[in-house]
Amino acid sequence: MPERRFPRAVGSLDAIFAFVHQFVADRGLDPGLTYDLDVIVEELFTNLVKYGRDGRHEILVALEADPVAVTLVLKDFDVEGFDLTQARPVDTTAPLDARRPGGLGIHLVKRIADDVRYEYVDRVSTITVTKRIGP
Amino acid sequence: MLDIQIGEAGRVKLAGRLDAAEAERAQAALRPLLEPVTVDMSGLEYISSAGIGVLIETYKRLHAAGHAFKLVGLQPRVRNVFAYAGLDRLLTIE
Repeated sequence: MPERRFPRAVGSLDAIFAFVHQFVADRGLDPGLTYDLDVIVEELFTNLVKYGRDGRHEILVALEADPVAVTLVLKDFDVEGFDLTQARPVDTTAPLDARRPGGLGIHLVKRIADDVRYEYVDRVSTITVTKRIGP
Repeated sequence: MLDIQIGEAGRVKLAGRLDAAEAERAQAALRPLLEPVTVDMSGLEYISSAGIGVLIETYKRLHAAGHAFKLVGLQPRVRNVFAYAGLDRLLTIE
């Protein structure tokens, strides 16, 4: 599983996108998949940066693919737990003026991904996302 | 990288990628506008929730002042993100 660690700052996004695009190219996956993976990895990474203010370590991003799915894993080391998957749902039917800020990024991840799981063990937050690619 | 062009009569052109790293710069470029605004998004290849947040804030500010705010030329994948967010029915998108 190719993996890299990135400094916990939004300035890391370009390098993260490059890592994702290289993975898609190396595995011969549909280039159209990069948009979905970019949204997923950006929303999760920036949430870890935003809510893991006690974090001092780089965030690990790993990717794997099999014939039916791509799996994306983010690990945040030595941080307080914060289960992004339990974020308050966004009411996409509400008018804009009635919407409260926040939560849209995780909403997009849940819409795009097929499975999102959170695990917190020994002060390590692990988010595992699966995106189906097979028929 | 995001390219922002502010033209005359509220014409704005966004091209490239509007992600969390570019949102602040986009916000700063759009904030001075106080007139009906049309954003040409035909060159915008990517948008995330951070970019959508910039456009929502701009819409709210202009709407409160009685000005129209319109998005045109969205690429299909960008349009999908607006649909996932339930914004394709709330914003004027052509």
